[in-house]
Amino acid sequence: MNSIAKIRRYLEIAPGSISWGIIVFFILLAIFNPVACAILIIIFDFYWIIRTGYLTTLLVMAYRKLYKQKDRDWLSECRNLGPEADWQKVYHLIIFPVYKESQDVLSASLEALRQAHYPKEKIIVVVAFEERNKQAKENANILEAEFKRNFFGYLSTFHPDNIPGEGRTKGANATWAAKKAKGFLDIKGIAYENVIASCFDADTCVDKEYFGCLTYHFLTAPKPHQASYQPIPVYNNNIWQAPSFARIVEITGSFCQLIESMRLEKFVTFSSHSMSFKTLVDIGYWPVDMVSDDSVIYWKAFLFYKGDYRVIPLYITVSMDVAYSRNFFKTIIIQYKQKRRWAWGVENFPFVVSGFLNNQDIAFTKKIRRGFNLLESHVTWAVWAIILILIGPLPIFLGGTIFSQMAIGYNLPRITGLLLNFTLATSLAWIILSRAILPPRPKNISWLKNVVMTVEWVIAPLIILILGSTPALDAQTRLALGKYMEFNPTEKGNKMV
Amino acid sequence: MASGGQRIRSILFYLSLSIFLTGLPFILSFALGYKFNMRTFKFTKTGLLALKTQPQGAAIYLDGRLLNEKTPATIYELLPGKYNIRLELEKYYPWLGEVFVDAGKVLRLEKIILFPLRPDIKQLNKNEIFSFWVDEDKEWVYYVDEEDNVIYKSDLEGISFKEIGSLPPINPLPKKWKVSPDKQKLLGFNLHQIGIIYLNAQDYSSAGGFPFVLEYSSFKILDVFWYSDSYHLVLVTDINIEVLEANPQTIPVKLVDLNKSNTPAFYDDVKDTLYFLDSQKAADGKLYDNVYKLELSAKVYPFKDLIRPRPNE
Repeated sequence: MNSIAKIRRYLEIAPGSISWGIIVFFILLAIFNPVACAILIIIFDFYWIIRTGYLTTLLVMAYRKLYKQKDRDWLSECRNLGPEADWQKVYHLIIFPVYKESQDVLSASLEALRQAHYPKEKIIVVVAFEERNKQAKENANILEAEFKRNFFGYLSTFHPDNIPGEGRTKGANATWAAKKAKGFLDIKGIAYENVIASCFDADTCVDKEYFGCLTYHFLTAPKPHQASYQPIPVYNNNIWQAPSFARIVEITGSFCQLIESMRLEKFVTFSSHSMSFKTLVDIGYWPVDMVSDDSVIYWKAFLFYKGDYRVIPLYITVSMDVAYSRNFFKTIIIQYKQKRRWAWGVENFPFVVSGFLNNQDIAFTKKIRRGFNLLESHVTWAVWAIILILIGPLPIFLGGTIFSQMAIGYNLPRITGLLLNFTLATSLAWIILSRAILPPRPKNISWLKNVVMTVEWVIAPLIILILGSTPALDAQTRLALGKYMEFNPTEKGNKMV
Repeated sequence: MASGGQRIRSILFYLSLSIFLTGLPFILSFALGYKFNMRTFKFTKTGLLALKTQPQGAAIYLDGRLLNEKTPATIYELLPGKYNIRLELEKYYPWLGEVFVDAGKVLRLEKIILFPLRPDIKQLNKNEIFSFWVDEDKEWVYYVDEEDNVIYKSDLEGISFKEIGSLPPINPLPKKWKVSPDKQKLLGFNLHQIGIIYLNAQDYSSAGGFPFVLEYSSFKILDVFWYSDSYHLVLVTDINIEVLEANPQTIPVKLVDLNKSNTPAFYDDVKDTLYFLDSQKAADGKLYDNVYKLELSAKVYPFKDLIRPRPNE
């Protein structure tokens, strides 16, 4: 192992070690010095409440932006930009990397493209199949028959298996597809800088104004090639049909993205997003051996542009499917695996830090800040729920009689209980917003579901317990142990009828 | 240049940070039992007192001073030292105590029971009675009127008080009567007599007499138990263990000879098993005191076959 590989290995071990270190430290402290442990727990609880209040305010602000831009005619705004920003020269390349997703899922996504309020002669679609999927050719033929004639370009690509240096990842498939699309653009004589590439999950149904909004931001942003464009992912395709557990998890996921859209200095691409095709080619496409391609692509560009790369939030939604199964426990497992895959984004940390080490053009303070933010977000993700729920009561159980007779032993459960009650106020805001982002109730769904969808938030603590930290801790542990994950597409529920 | 949203966000961030940094010392000092003295600008370590009473809502007097809180309550920021506490609740005896509060510690007085000034008493019987007992299931109260030889019954609230039968001519009268599992019969015994009362007319006629007394002059009765069928009795005497029917014509069947004259016994009426202490001969020929288990369940013991037919059958 050379020194670079060694450093990278240490960086892989670091997040998991820190997270486990914090947990073990708290447990040992609860046993050997319960007073100190109780003090740290109170500090953490108070910090968490302030943080929750702060983030909820950001959520409300972000939602307000989303609401204000709802139904905005972005195409007209593009037309009004004037000759210096010619929207008509912009082409949209949309790549759908597909593995096991059914043809129904893809049809709905392509139908949403067809319904988009944007000239279809400016849209190039690439449906990127995996060659190892035996259904791929058949599905490709069916979809081509249905959609090919509707767009300026329509390609079905088949990513071969076992290409040296590649993992079985979505990024490898998307990269293969992007290279094929590059050939297509070359044939058509379309300049890369006039192409915006969107890499969408197979179940992504765009808002009809999405491409207008994207084009507008691309044309008006300073250094448009040095930015990714991130819409707000919502899981509205089947949200009315999904079970409470899965629904709350996905709504919470959307809220997290809304919050992140307000923290631009930390904002990183997630799931379906868009970027300049020129940049994509310049940075060498998506990584072909990493699972978290959606965020790594941002960091690749960040390193390529020496830190001068950002994510521009688009306050417009792309809708996806809630991941669930008819069986409750299977739903938990599906959700757990999906969250673990998201948490596998911790693999970005060694990638980014080793990139920083090799890049002398990025300011040192910027490296420290971004590296710390990345590490802190993953470590916090892996420990917060465990500290709040499991470690919080430990001093009381392990502290013994002496601790229970101390003022802090008596006050600890009361103070933490009181502090956590403040989160109820923020929960109320989340419940109200969860109602606001819902699509209209389908006719075949009873109005009683409205009541269910409000009351169901009482199971949020259970979700926090199961999915709060453990998937992240699991992912970090695997990375630390060198048990690397492969990309497994999430099983998704049926689409809304 | 920061946009309006980012500016608001910065304000929010610094506001949150300020709340955290200013609030934390107060929360921590409160948690650790410190009191901030506004005059001296110093933290003093205090103790606290946790009070819980049954019933709740008692007024709290601390060194004679009435506090705003009522029990259950926690009194914070008490300077270390001795305190006199008085807890008062209308219609209850006050609770008085002298306690010592330590710095940084909590004194938990959480098991205080306040007793009523005049306990709630309520007369249950409607007629004159001599004695009473409550059945083992705690469902009924039985009353004995020795003068008129009558037994009454009511529920635990004294409702449905009614006469249920006459006392048999048993002397001395037992203090307590045992109710059969079907609640239709009572038995009471003294050293040489077992009195049986049938509460149901149908059972009574089939028993051939009501109430009646079984006389046993040749041994002393130590205990009598109802068998689970509510018809047979298990009798422990000073010489043996017998079974008999709750019938005036019954002839007891001896099951075990006893060597101890005052053997204690316990009867499990669910499993029909008798546990008793006795001295039985071991393999070495010597007598040893042991506890024995005698299973009388119809499943394991041919109980019915043991009962000899009644003379009139």
